[in-house]
Amino acid sequence: MKKYLMENLQQNSTEEQKIRIIGFLCNWCSYGGADTAGVCRFKQPTDLRIIRIPCTGRMDPMFAIKALINGADGVLVSGCHPNDCHYSVGNFYARRRMEALKRFLPFVGIDTQRFHYTWVSASEGQVWQQVVTEFTEKIHQLGPNPGFHINPDIQQPLSLAL
Amino acid sequence: MNDKNKIIKQTFQKVFDDLEVVLGWKQGFDSLHMTPAFIRKASDLDQLVFNPQCVQNLSGYLFSTLKAADPEKQGKIGICVKGCDSRSLTALIQEGLVERDRVYIVGIPCKGVVDVKKLRNLKPSLTEISGITIEADEVVIEADGKTERFPIADVLAHKCLQCRYPNPLIYDALIGEPVTARVAQDAARPAVEQLDALSLEARRNFWLTEMDRCIRCYACRNACPMCVCQDSCIAETRSPKWLSQRSDISEKFLFHMIRTVHLAGRCTECGECMRVCPVDIPVTLLMEKMNCIVKELFDYEAGIDPESKPPLQTYDSSKTGI
Ligand code: SF4
Ligand code: SF4
Ligand code: SF4
Repeated sequence: MKKYLMENLQQNSTEEQKIRIIGFLCNWCSYGGADTAGVCRFKQPTDLRIIRIPCTGRMDPMFAIKALINGADGVLVSGCHPNDCHYSVGNFYARRRMEALKRFLPFVGIDTQRFHYTWVSASEGQVWQQVVTEFTEKIHQLGPNPGFHINPDIQQPLSLAL
Repeated sequence: MNDKNKIIKQTFQKVFDDLEVVLGWKQGFDSLHMTPAFIRKASDLDQLVFNPQCVQNLSGYLFSTLKAADPEKQGKIGICVKGCDSRSLTALIQEGLVERDRVYIVGIPCKGVVDVKKLRNLKPSLTEISGITIEADEVVIEADGKTERFPIADVLAHKCLQCRYPNPLIYDALIGEPVTARVAQDAARPAVEQLDALSLEARRNFWLTEMDRCIRCYACRNACPMCVCQDSCIAETRSPKWLSQRSDISEKFLFHMIRTVHLAGRCTECGECMRVCPVDIPVTLLMEKMNCIVKELFDYEAGIDPESKPPLQTYDSSKTGI
């Protein structure tokens, strides 16, 4: 399985577009939604790698940060609509964490547009198609993740008001 | 011994029999440095001092001191807190990490503490300090038999220059008169704004350049009163393995992101993380930014109200809320 994934990644990187998007999808809603989209044969972009999580309540903001720091070009999180959570309130906790994270990312120089969270139910195949298409388009526009290395050409602020 | 020191001593003396240990400050290895004191004998109460050199946030010791305390005795821990320290203590109570009735809190209104690094840069030759006093916008230093005045920005710690809560918010006894806060509660944080004004790329570069120096000594974590996981910190666990021992910048970056995320809505801006960093990384700014976001989203500040719940430990069940 792991080997397959590696080959898949390598293969992808030799193709001309090298965009990698990681999707964290709730097992109960959005994963089903993506499945529905597949079953209905809705056309979807292929850049998304899906990781199934038991609930968006399990979505540690560190998952997104680690993916972005390690080179993912975008991170998409999707779960059940508010009030539809399989565990009642997992997505309510998630909503707070995701929103705080989204607003924080630019402070450390990560484009906030590379992170998106949304709600898609298992029956919403069409909504899923739309979400994933729009997000992928956005990431293609932004281009590859500029990565985390110091750029010596950029002037540092001389002194902070500390 | 000045008045304040005397009152602190007397205050603790009155209740000393109920206390297992008193956490305060005493003089350290020279006249510039004060150091935390753990006092178990009434006769040692004489050592207690309070002055602008008492920089350490003693709330950071509470969790472990309580854990190590004799569970049979249920004795109280006496502790001295400045305004900012009292917020950390309140936050610990809020999260159920410290029981309110296990602590006896002596609150001290505070005009600010010195940043020892700034002081050293200013006067590398300082040896005998006989007193530091803080006036509105000046710091008066009596050292080596001379009196000198400096603007506060050159001497005071970063946190004190933007202090919103100089008076302890929670206490059993208050020493001295309340003081007025240096800035308004909703005042801006200049350093955060300065960074916010940069381009995305410049900001990333700034943090990478700063973090490049990080030696992952974890002093910032260990000094933080809210980093109570300590020995089970996910920065060091092997399962799950979040960080490797490599010294790449991405690993350092991740470590700081762990701290930022875990302190979201919990950091009380006591500045200890920044103070103890041996390579002067302004780590507190990460939490300060996160605190601004938490304030914006949830109208919440950490460590103000012992009864309230940190926003990321609860939720809003409405469809449209956050
Ligand atoms: S932040 Fe405020 S309370 Fe804390 S040491 Fe500085 S002036 Fe005192
Ligand atoms: S993160 Fe830093 S400023 Fe915040 S509570 Fe911990 S030590 Fe204090
Ligand atoms: S104290 Fe400074 S050097 Fe040590 S881990 Fe924290 S940021 Fe890195």
